[in-house]
Amino acid sequence: MVVLREGMCPGLDEDLLRDLCAADIKTVEDLVSSDIEGLAQKCSVSYKALFAIRRVLLAQHTAFPVSGADLYEELLSSTAILSTGNPSLDKLLDSGLYTGEITELSGGPGSGKSQVCFGVAVHISYQLKQSVIYIDTTGGLAASRLLQMLQAETSNTEEQMEALQRIHVFRLFDVYALLDCLYSLRSGGLQQASVGGGSVKAVIVDSVSAVISPLLGGKQNEGMSLMIQVAGALKTMAKDFNVAALVTNHVTRSGSGEVQPGLGVSWSHIPRTRILLERVEKAAAVSQPSLRSAKLIKSSRQPCHIKEEFDLQWWSRSEKGSSGKRKLGETDS
Amino acid sequence: MSESGAQLLARLEARRCLKDIEPRLFPEDRGPDQGAVVELFGLEGTGKTELLYHLLCRCVLPEAAGGLEVDVVFVDTDYSLDMLHLVSILDSKLSAALLAGADEAALRSCLSRLLFVHCYSSSQLLLTLHFLETTLSSRPALALILIDSISAFYWVDRCEGGASYTKQEEKLSRCAELLGRLLRDYRITVFATCHAIRRPGVSSSSSDSERSYLCRSWQRLVTHRLLCSRQEPGNNMAAEGGHDQEQRRQQIFTVHCTTFSSRVKVSWSSSFCVTEAGVEFLSASEENKCAARQ
Repeated sequence: MVVLREGMCPGLDEDLLRDLCAADIKTVEDLVSSDIEGLAQKCSVSYKALFAIRRVLLAQHTAFPVSGADLYEELLSSTAILSTGNPSLDKLLDSGLYTGEITELSGGPGSGKSQVCFGVAVHISYQLKQSVIYIDTTGGLAASRLLQMLQAETSNTEEQMEALQRIHVFRLFDVYALLDCLYSLRSGGLQQASVGGGSVKAVIVDSVSAVISPLLGGKQNEGMSLMIQVAGALKTMAKDFNVAALVTNHVTRSGSGEVQPGLGVSWSHIPRTRILLERVEKAAAVSQPSLRSAKLIKSSRQPCHIKEEFDLQWWSRSEKGSSGKRKLGETDS
Repeated sequence: MSESGAQLLARLEARRCLKDIEPRLFPEDRGPDQGAVVELFGLEGTGKTELLYHLLCRCVLPEAAGGLEVDVVFVDTDYSLDMLHLVSILDSKLSAALLAGADEAALRSCLSRLLFVHCYSSSQLLLTLHFLETTLSSRPALALILIDSISAFYWVDRCEGGASYTKQEEKLSRCAELLGRLLRDYRITVFATCHAIRRPGVSSSSSDSERSYLCRSWQRLVTHRLLCSRQEPGNNMAAEGGHDQEQRRQQIFTVHCTTFSSRVKVSWSSSFCVTEAGVEFLSASEENKCAARQ
């Protein structure tokens, strides 16, 4: 709802505004939807002048149609695919994270969602030399873990520091701070973050359900509305700035007992691609505790329900042995 | 409201009727007539967007490739248009039809028939529909408006409306009323997707989750309702052994169509699966074969 104000367009002066208010026309939508002839008579202003004002206001506030051919040309030149660093995951995602889309990783506790996010961030910042925005809402990000992953890639401390500098971390713990952060990133934050290293190519939110699920349920609608606003802000940022958005989600059990991603049906339409992470339950997995299985549950490019197994230690593969999982605790400060 | 001579002519000139848009989906003469509104309703992953792309391709393709050659406006409310996917479907259809091989020019001319517009709120949707009226007058080939999706602002409007249902539904009602006027005046057709917000669960019946939850003005406009659903593949396969088989098995989507023809409710079902070239409708015998394999 855009409220009519004086000086919004040539011809909209104080007197006209007062007359329009008296005729119950307070917003641009009211003016555009009303009958211009009748209104011109009521406000004693010429039909031509009011029609011109309507046309200018409509042109200012409407969305402009773009031809399909131009849109396609634009997308061809700006869409990129970012590899996650793990070939099994890349195979599942049809070669990686696509810019302009939201990809969702869901899984139970300890299924490796945060580890995958760290791995992706490190790969993009070190191998692809691009910046990453990491929004941490659970407090699970430890820079020492990122450094450990980088140390497995290179032993040059300068390169490690450079790569770490390209990962910009924001720590927030409620949905209003998240919305604030996303809006400020859209209106200049992303340009600022790109000044140091390469341009920002990925925004990782770990996890989006931690700030939204406490608000859902009950009779009020604010939680759902805030969830849709977060989704809208992420999608607009992904499209306008050509970044890939990666979010993590928790899981719940459906009525028939099977595991499904959380945040409900209304959220399920938002991400373009969804992956469910699970621990691997078989005898051979005992010797490899960092083995995880990823199942593709929603994709517009691949047939669904294909599974891939991968090792969480892939991003920190070194000869040191079982120092992969953060939970093992020896390397945490 | 007075209009110029050009506008009057643009209004009265007959626009292409889309009754024959997809005979495998709308058999006989049950297709969408001029002034019809088709709503595609379903949960996520049930093939609504695929179906929309299929119908869109059918509209913009040249007649030589089996299309209708009409202009289409795509109103996108939740950034869900996958342009590269759409172009790959168009490409495969063009190369299948034209013997000389699809060239860039043919693709460009198809894409130039598509007008894309993005709205980020229901107020902007209302203003954009007003603006589209001028586009409709100036392009007599424009016969279809696609809205994906009409339910994108549902929760935001409900929260903004506060406690009164009328205020919550006010914005979408105004959009629906304006759409109704455009349908009457310009004789176009509208296709819209609507995301389901309730899953059929153990406690609620399936009809509960299929009921339309948008405002009454919109429900009154809808003439054809397509309920999309997905048949679940069998879950009782061992993970290793079934790996390849799962990938080769086709996911079948079902569409249950309902419309009113001379006050009588008519309904029928069709099935399709999604391939590289887009949507492939299954005949009844193929459907049974796939079901038996599962």
